[in-house]
Amino acid sequence: MGWFSSSKKPEEENTTTRQNRQQCWTARDAYFTCLDDRNVVKAGEEGNACSTEKKAYEANCAKSWIEYFNQRRVIADAQKDRLARAAAQHEEWKAKSGKS
Amino acid sequence: MLSFLFSRRAPALCVRRAQIPSIRTLCTHNKPSSSPRVHPKRKNAFEPAQRRNYSDHNEKERNAIGVFGPRAAFAFLATGVALWFYFRNEKLRLKEEKEKERASKQYGRPNLGGQFTLTSHEGKPFTEEELEGKWSLVYFGFTNCPDICPAELDKISTVLDTVQKEHGDIFLPLFITVDPARDLPHRIARYLEDFHPSFIGLFGDYDATKAICKKYRVYFSTPANADPKGDYLVDHSIFVYLMDPQGKFVDAFGQSVPQEDVVEKINKEVNDWQRQTGKKA
Repeated sequence: MGWFSSSKKPEEENTTTRQNRQQCWTARDAYFTCLDDRNVVKAGEEGNACSTEKKAYEANCAKSWIEYFNQRRVIADAQKDRLARAAAQHEEWKAKSGKS
Repeated sequence: MLSFLFSRRAPALCVRRAQIPSIRTLCTHNKPSSSPRVHPKRKNAFEPAQRRNYSDHNEKERNAIGVFGPRAAFAFLATGVALWFYFRNEKLRLKEEKEKERASKQYGRPNLGGQFTLTSHEGKPFTEEELEGKWSLVYFGFTNCPDICPAELDKISTVLDTVQKEHGDIFLPLFITVDPARDLPHRIARYLEDFHPSFIGLFGDYDATKAICKKYRVYFSTPANADPKGDYLVDHSIFVYLMDPQGKFVDAFGQSVPQEDVVEKINKEVNDWQRQTGKKA
Protein backbone atom coordinates (compact mmCIF):
# COMPACT_ATOMS: atom_id res chain seq x y z
CA MET A 1 0.00 0.00 0.00
CA GLY A 2 2.81 2.29 0.93
CA TRP A 3 4.51 1.62 -2.36
CA PHE A 4 1.28 2.30 -4.22
CA SER A 5 0.56 5.65 -2.65
CA SER A 6 4.14 6.85 -2.98
CA SER A 7 4.20 5.97 -6.66
CA LYS A 8 0.94 7.78 -7.21
CA LYS A 9 1.82 10.91 -5.33
CA PRO A 10 4.09 12.63 -7.88
CA GLU A 11 1.40 12.34 -10.52
CA GLU A 12 -1.16 14.00 -8.29
CA GLU A 13 1.24 16.79 -7.52
CA ASN A 14 1.92 17.39 -11.16
CA THR A 15 -1.64 17.32 -12.32
CA THR A 16 -3.91 20.27 -12.07
CA THR A 17 -7.51 19.36 -11.35
CA ARG A 18 -10.61 21.43 -10.92
CA GLN A 19 -10.38 20.82 -7.22
CA ASN A 20 -6.83 21.98 -6.64
CA ARG A 21 -7.33 24.91 -8.96
CA GLN A 22 -10.32 25.97 -6.91
CA GLN A 23 -8.33 25.59 -3.68
CA CYS A 24 -5.63 27.83 -5.07
CA TRP A 25 -8.11 30.46 -6.27
CA THR A 26 -9.86 30.52 -2.91
CA ALA A 27 -6.57 30.98 -1.04
CA ARG A 28 -5.54 33.67 -3.53
CA ASP A 29 -8.81 35.56 -3.12
CA ALA A 30 -8.48 35.46 0.68
CA TYR A 31 -4.96 36.84 0.50
CA PHE A 32 -5.90 39.55 -2.01
CA THR A 33 -8.86 40.59 0.12
CA CYS A 34 -6.47 40.98 3.01
CA LEU A 35 -4.21 43.15 0.82
CA ASP A 36 -7.21 45.21 -0.32
CA ASP A 37 -8.14 45.90 3.30
CA ARG A 38 -4.68 47.31 3.84
CA ASN A 39 -4.61 49.22 0.57
CA VAL A 40 -1.67 47.21 -0.67
CA VAL A 41 -1.51 46.54 -4.41
CA LYS A 42 1.83 44.83 -4.80
CA ALA A 43 2.03 41.54 -2.92
CA GLY A 44 4.90 41.47 -0.42
CA GLU A 45 4.56 45.12 0.54
CA GLU A 46 2.10 44.35 3.32
CA GLY A 47 4.78 43.44 5.85
CA ASN A 48 3.61 40.77 8.25
CA ALA A 49 -0.02 41.78 8.02
CA CYS A 50 -1.47 38.91 5.96
CA SER A 51 0.89 36.15 6.92
CA THR A 52 -1.80 33.51 7.57
CA GLU A 53 -3.43 34.13 4.20
CA LYS A 54 -0.07 34.28 2.53
CA LYS A 55 0.93 30.92 3.96
CA ALA A 56 -2.30 29.32 2.70
CA TYR A 57 -1.82 30.97 -0.69
CA GLU A 58 1.72 29.60 -1.00
CA ALA A 59 0.64 26.17 0.19
CA ASN A 60 -2.16 25.86 -2.38
CA CYS A 61 -0.69 27.48 -5.46
CA ALA A 62 2.38 26.71 -7.53
CA LYS A 63 5.08 29.35 -7.48
CA SER A 64 4.53 30.15 -11.14
CA TRP A 65 0.84 30.75 -10.47
CA ILE A 66 1.57 33.02 -7.51
CA GLU A 67 3.92 35.13 -9.62
CA TYR A 68 1.31 35.31 -12.37
CA PHE A 69 -1.57 36.27 -10.09
CA ASN A 70 0.52 38.86 -8.24
CA GLN A 71 1.65 40.45 -11.50
CA ARG A 72 -1.85 40.48 -12.83
CA ARG A 73 -3.09 42.19 -9.69
CA VAL A 74 -0.68 45.06 -10.28
CA ILE A 75 -1.62 45.30 -13.95
CA ALA A 76 -5.34 45.20 -13.17
CA ASP A 77 -4.89 47.98 -10.64
CA ALA A 78 -3.01 50.15 -13.13
CA GLN A 79 -5.74 49.52 -15.64
CA LYS A 80 -8.37 50.44 -13.09
CA ASP A 81 -6.58 53.73 -12.51
CA ARG A 82 -6.33 54.40 -16.20
CA LEU A 83 -9.97 53.53 -16.76
CA ALA A 84 -11.02 55.74 -13.86
CA ARG A 85 -8.97 58.63 -15.25
CA ALA A 86 -10.45 58.11 -18.69
CA ALA A 87 -13.94 58.06 -17.23
CA ALA A 88 -13.25 61.22 -15.23
CA GLN A 89 -11.92 62.96 -18.33
CA HIS A 90 -14.98 61.91 -20.24
CA GLU A 91 -17.27 63.31 -17.52
CA GLU A 92 -15.31 66.55 -17.53
CA TRP A 93 -15.57 66.82 -21.28
CA LYS A 94 -19.29 66.10 -21.14
CA ALA A 95 -19.82 68.77 -18.49
CA LYS A 96 -17.82 71.31 -20.54
CA SER A 97 -19.53 70.63 -23.81
CA GLY A 98 -22.87 70.68 -22.02
CA LYS A 99 -22.25 74.23 -20.78
CA SER A 100 -21.15 75.70 -24.08
CA MET B 1 -44.63 63.52 -93.32
CA LEU B 2 -42.27 62.08 -90.81
CA SER B 3 -44.87 59.86 -89.19
CA PHE B 4 -45.87 58.52 -92.63
CA LEU B 5 -42.28 57.71 -93.36
CA PHE B 6 -41.91 55.84 -90.10
CA SER B 7 -45.04 53.78 -90.40
CA ARG B 8 -44.19 52.64 -93.93
CA ARG B 9 -40.64 51.73 -93.12
CA ALA B 10 -41.36 50.18 -89.81
CA PRO B 11 -40.22 46.56 -90.52
CA ALA B 12 -36.89 47.53 -92.00
CA LEU B 13 -36.31 49.97 -89.22
CA CYS B 14 -37.13 47.32 -86.72
CA VAL B 15 -34.51 44.97 -88.08
CA ARG B 16 -31.86 47.59 -88.24
CA ARG B 17 -32.46 48.69 -84.70
CA ALA B 18 -32.51 45.18 -83.44
CA GLN B 19 -28.99 44.68 -84.71
CA ILE B 20 -27.91 46.83 -81.84
CA PRO B 21 -28.76 44.90 -78.70
CA SER B 22 -29.06 47.96 -76.54
CA ILE B 23 -32.25 49.13 -78.25
CA ARG B 24 -33.69 45.78 -79.23
CA THR B 25 -36.78 46.33 -77.11
CA LEU B 26 -38.11 48.56 -79.86
CA CYS B 27 -38.52 45.53 -82.02
CA THR B 28 -41.43 43.31 -81.19
CA HIS B 29 -40.11 40.39 -83.24
CA ASN B 30 -37.36 39.65 -80.79
CA LYS B 31 -38.66 38.00 -77.74
CA PRO B 32 -36.02 38.42 -75.05
CA SER B 33 -36.51 41.96 -73.94
CA SER B 34 -35.45 42.29 -70.36
CA SER B 35 -32.26 44.22 -70.83
CA PRO B 36 -31.39 46.81 -68.23
CA ARG B 37 -29.52 48.85 -70.82
CA VAL B 38 -32.35 50.38 -72.83
CA HIS B 39 -31.93 54.00 -73.73
CA PRO B 40 -35.26 55.31 -74.94
CA LYS B 41 -33.63 58.57 -75.96
CA ARG B 42 -31.67 56.83 -78.70
CA LYS B 43 -34.82 56.29 -80.73
CA ASN B 44 -34.25 59.62 -82.34
CA ALA B 45 -30.70 58.85 -83.28
CA PHE B 46 -31.94 57.02 -86.36
CA GLU B 47 -34.08 59.72 -87.78
CA PRO B 48 -31.45 61.45 -89.91
CA ALA B 49 -30.31 58.13 -91.34
CA GLN B 50 -33.86 57.23 -92.18
CA ARG B 51 -34.40 60.41 -94.01
CA ARG B 52 -31.20 60.05 -95.97
CA ASN B 53 -31.96 56.50 -97.07
CA TYR B 54 -35.43 57.29 -98.18
CA SER B 55 -36.22 57.76 -101.82
CA ASP B 56 -39.29 57.26 -104.05
CA HIS B 57 -37.52 54.56 -106.01
CA ASN B 58 -36.73 52.52 -102.91
CA GLU B 59 -40.21 52.84 -101.57
CA LYS B 60 -41.74 51.56 -104.78
CA GLU B 61 -39.44 48.57 -104.89
CA ARG B 62 -40.23 47.63 -101.34
CA ASN B 63 -43.93 48.02 -101.83
CA ALA B 64 -43.77 45.70 -104.78
CA ILE B 65 -42.01 42.85 -102.94
CA GLY B 66 -43.78 43.48 -99.69
CA VAL B 67 -42.35 44.67 -96.44
CA PHE B 68 -40.44 41.44 -95.87
CA GLY B 69 -37.94 41.43 -98.71
CA PRO B 70 -35.05 38.94 -98.93
CA ARG B 71 -32.57 41.41 -97.52
CA ALA B 72 -34.83 42.22 -94.61
CA ALA B 73 -35.48 38.54 -94.02
CA PHE B 74 -31.77 37.80 -93.97
CA ALA B 75 -31.08 40.69 -91.63
CA PHE B 76 -33.90 39.56 -89.41
CA LEU B 77 -32.60 36.00 -89.22
CA ALA B 78 -29.01 37.09 -88.68
CA THR B 79 -30.11 39.37 -85.88
CA GLY B 80 -32.15 36.62 -84.33
CA VAL B 81 -29.20 34.24 -84.35
CA ALA B 82 -26.87 36.90 -83.03
CA LEU B 83 -29.25 37.75 -80.24
CA TRP B 84 -29.72 34.11 -79.34
CA PHE B 85 -25.97 33.73 -78.93
CA TYR B 86 -25.75 36.98 -77.06
CA PHE B 87 -28.36 35.97 -74.52
CA ARG B 88 -27.00 32.49 -74.14
CA ASN B 89 -23.59 33.93 -73.34
CA GLU B 90 -25.06 36.47 -71.00
CA LYS B 91 -26.99 33.79 -69.17
CA LEU B 92 -23.87 31.65 -68.82
CA ARG B 93 -21.91 34.63 -67.59
CA LEU B 94 -24.49 35.44 -64.91
CA LYS B 95 -24.61 31.82 -63.82
CA GLU B 96 -20.85 31.77 -63.57
CA GLU B 97 -20.84 34.94 -61.51
CA LYS B 98 -23.38 33.52 -59.10
CA GLU B 99 -21.34 30.36 -58.74
CA LYS B 100 -18.23 32.41 -58.07
CA GLU B 101 -20.01 34.42 -55.41
CA ARG B 102 -21.16 31.26 -53.66
CA ALA B 103 -17.71 29.75 -53.80
CA SER B 104 -15.93 32.91 -52.68
CA LYS B 105 -17.33 32.31 -49.23
CA GLN B 106 -14.98 29.37 -49.07
CA TYR B 107 -12.12 30.91 -51.03
CA GLY B 108 -12.20 33.88 -48.67
CA ARG B 109 -11.31 31.76 -45.70
CA PRO B 110 -7.84 31.92 -44.26
CA ASN B 111 -5.69 28.93 -45.04
CA LEU B 112 -5.54 27.71 -41.46
CA GLY B 113 -5.10 24.15 -40.29
CA GLY B 114 -3.91 21.25 -42.42
CA GLN B 115 -1.80 18.17 -41.93
CA PHE B 116 -0.49 17.17 -38.54
CA THR B 117 0.63 14.04 -36.73
CA LEU B 118 0.12 13.92 -32.97
CA THR B 119 -0.85 11.36 -30.34
CA SER B 120 -4.10 11.29 -28.40
CA HIS B 121 -4.13 11.18 -24.60
CA GLU B 122 -5.15 7.53 -24.96
CA GLY B 123 -1.90 6.87 -26.80
CA LYS B 124 -3.39 6.49 -30.30
CA PRO B 125 -1.92 8.21 -33.32
CA PHE B 126 -4.04 11.16 -34.36
CA THR B 127 -3.84 13.05 -37.67
CA GLU B 128 -5.92 15.66 -39.47
CA GLU B 129 -7.91 12.81 -41.07
CA GLU B 130 -9.71 12.32 -37.77
CA LEU B 131 -11.32 15.75 -38.24
CA GLU B 132 -13.28 14.49 -41.24
CA GLY B 133 -16.96 13.89 -40.69
CA LYS B 134 -17.17 15.96 -37.52
CA TRP B 135 -17.28 19.60 -36.56
CA SER B 136 -14.13 20.19 -34.55
CA LEU B 137 -13.50 22.73 -31.83
CA VAL B 138 -9.76 23.10 -31.46
CA TYR B 139 -8.12 24.69 -28.46
CA PHE B 140 -4.42 25.10 -27.71
CA GLY B 141 -3.39 25.25 -24.07
CA PHE B 142 -1.49 23.53 -21.28
CA THR B 143 -2.58 21.77 -18.12
CA ASN B 144 -0.62 24.01 -15.75
CA CYS B 145 -2.61 26.99 -17.02
CA PRO B 146 -3.72 29.07 -14.00
CA ASP B 147 -7.11 30.39 -15.09
CA ILE B 148 -7.65 31.19 -18.76
CA CYS B 149 -7.47 27.65 -20.19
CA PRO B 150 -9.87 26.11 -17.67
CA ALA B 151 -12.30 28.95 -18.23
CA GLU B 152 -12.12 28.48 -22.00
CA LEU B 153 -12.48 24.70 -21.71
CA ASP B 154 -15.51 25.19 -19.46
CA LYS B 155 -16.94 27.49 -22.10
CA ILE B 156 -16.40 24.89 -24.83
CA SER B 157 -17.97 22.22 -22.59
CA THR B 158 -21.13 24.28 -22.12
CA VAL B 159 -21.27 25.08 -25.84
CA LEU B 160 -20.91 21.36 -26.64
CA ASP B 161 -23.77 20.41 -24.30
CA THR B 162 -26.02 22.85 -26.14
CA VAL B 163 -25.07 22.04 -29.73
CA GLN B 164 -25.00 18.29 -29.14
CA LYS B 165 -28.56 18.45 -27.87
CA GLU B 166 -29.53 20.31 -31.02
CA HIS B 167 -27.56 18.39 -33.66
CA GLY B 168 -26.43 15.13 -32.11
CA ASP B 169 -22.97 13.63 -31.70
CA ILE B 170 -21.26 15.37 -34.59
CA PHE B 171 -18.68 17.40 -32.66
CA LEU B 172 -15.07 16.72 -31.82
CA PRO B 173 -13.47 18.94 -29.17
CA LEU B 174 -9.67 18.87 -29.20
CA PHE B 175 -7.25 20.10 -26.58
CA ILE B 176 -3.77 20.41 -28.05
CA THR B 177 -1.00 21.01 -25.56
CA VAL B 178 1.62 23.69 -26.17
CA ASP B 179 3.66 22.32 -23.27
CA PRO B 180 4.99 19.03 -24.66
CA ALA B 181 7.76 18.73 -22.07
CA ARG B 182 5.39 18.38 -19.12
CA ASP B 183 1.98 17.45 -20.58
CA LEU B 184 2.33 13.69 -20.80
CA PRO B 185 -0.71 11.57 -21.73
CA HIS B 186 -1.71 10.64 -18.18
CA ARG B 187 -1.55 14.24 -17.14
CA ILE B 188 -3.68 15.41 -20.07
CA ALA B 189 -6.12 12.55 -19.42
CA ARG B 190 -6.57 13.56 -15.78
CA TYR B 191 -6.86 17.22 -16.73
CA LEU B 192 -9.61 16.59 -19.29
CA GLU B 193 -11.69 14.55 -16.84
CA ASP B 194 -12.92 17.86 -15.43
CA PHE B 195 -14.32 18.96 -18.78
CA HIS B 196 -16.66 17.64 -21.46
CA PRO B 197 -16.33 13.84 -21.81
CA SER B 198 -15.90 14.03 -25.58
CA PHE B 199 -12.67 16.03 -25.30
CA ILE B 200 -9.60 14.46 -26.88
CA GLY B 201 -6.21 15.65 -25.74
CA LEU B 202 -3.35 15.74 -28.25
CA PHE B 203 0.36 15.99 -27.78
CA GLY B 204 3.52 15.60 -29.82
CA ASP B 205 7.21 16.28 -29.43
CA TYR B 206 8.46 19.83 -29.55
CA ASP B 207 8.82 19.91 -33.35
CA ALA B 208 5.38 18.41 -33.97
CA THR B 209 3.88 20.92 -31.53
CA LYS B 210 5.66 23.77 -33.21
CA ALA B 211 4.51 22.54 -36.63
CA ILE B 212 0.81 22.39 -35.74
CA CYS B 213 0.99 25.73 -33.94
CA LYS B 214 2.40 27.25 -37.09
CA LYS B 215 -0.43 25.79 -39.16
CA TYR B 216 -3.03 27.16 -36.76
CA ARG B 217 -1.18 30.49 -36.36
CA VAL B 218 -0.79 29.87 -32.64
CA TYR B 219 1.99 31.53 -30.70
CA PHE B 220 3.46 29.70 -27.71
CA SER B 221 6.41 30.52 -25.51
CA THR B 222 7.62 27.11 -24.30
CA PRO B 223 11.33 26.79 -25.04
CA ALA B 224 12.53 23.63 -26.79
CA ASN B 225 14.60 22.60 -23.76
CA ALA B 226 11.95 23.20 -21.10
CA ASP B 227 12.51 21.29 -17.86
CA PRO B 228 9.84 18.56 -17.52
CA LYS B 229 9.89 19.08 -13.76
CA GLY B 230 10.04 22.86 -13.95
CA ASP B 231 7.39 25.18 -12.60
CA TYR B 232 6.69 27.60 -15.43
CA LEU B 233 3.80 29.06 -17.36
CA VAL B 234 3.34 29.06 -21.10
CA ASP B 235 2.25 32.19 -22.85
CA HIS B 236 0.07 31.27 -25.81
CA SER B 237 -2.66 32.54 -28.15
CA ILE B 238 -6.17 31.99 -26.85
CA PHE B 239 -8.53 30.98 -29.62
CA VAL B 240 -11.12 28.30 -30.15
CA TYR B 241 -11.09 27.23 -33.78
CA LEU B 242 -14.17 25.84 -35.48
CA MET B 243 -13.32 23.44 -38.30
CA ASP B 244 -15.87 21.99 -40.72
CA PRO B 245 -16.40 18.25 -41.43
CA GLN B 246 -13.72 18.44 -44.13
CA GLY B 247 -11.23 19.72 -41.57
CA LYS B 248 -11.29 23.23 -43.08
CA PHE B 249 -11.21 26.36 -40.99
CA VAL B 250 -14.54 28.11 -40.42
CA ASP B 251 -14.08 30.57 -37.57
CA ALA B 252 -11.98 31.49 -34.56
CA PHE B 253 -13.49 32.57 -31.25
CA GLY B 254 -11.49 34.77 -28.93
CA GLN B 255 -11.74 34.87 -25.19
CA SER B 256 -14.21 37.75 -25.28
CA VAL B 257 -16.75 35.97 -27.48
CA PRO B 258 -19.64 34.88 -25.23
CA GLN B 259 -20.73 31.25 -25.43
CA GLU B 260 -24.15 32.21 -26.78
CA ASP B 261 -22.45 33.73 -29.83
CA VAL B 262 -20.36 30.60 -30.33
CA VAL B 263 -23.50 28.42 -30.18
CA GLU B 264 -25.29 30.70 -32.62
CA LYS B 265 -22.40 30.60 -35.09
CA ILE B 266 -22.12 26.80 -34.89
CA ASN B 267 -25.87 26.38 -35.41
CA LYS B 268 -25.75 28.61 -38.46
CA GLU B 269 -22.77 26.78 -39.96
CA VAL B 270 -24.26 23.32 -39.35
CA ASN B 271 -27.58 24.36 -40.87
CA ASP B 272 -25.86 25.89 -43.91
CA TRP B 273 -23.87 22.71 -44.31
CA GLN B 274 -27.01 20.61 -44.13
CA ARG B 275 -28.72 22.78 -46.73
CA GLN B 276 -25.78 22.38 -49.11
CA THR B 277 -24.85 18.74 -48.59
CA GLY B 278 -28.02 17.20 -47.13
CA LYS B 279 -26.04 16.09 -44.07
CA LYS B 280 -25.23 17.73 -40.78
CA ALA B 281 -21.62 16.60 -40.84
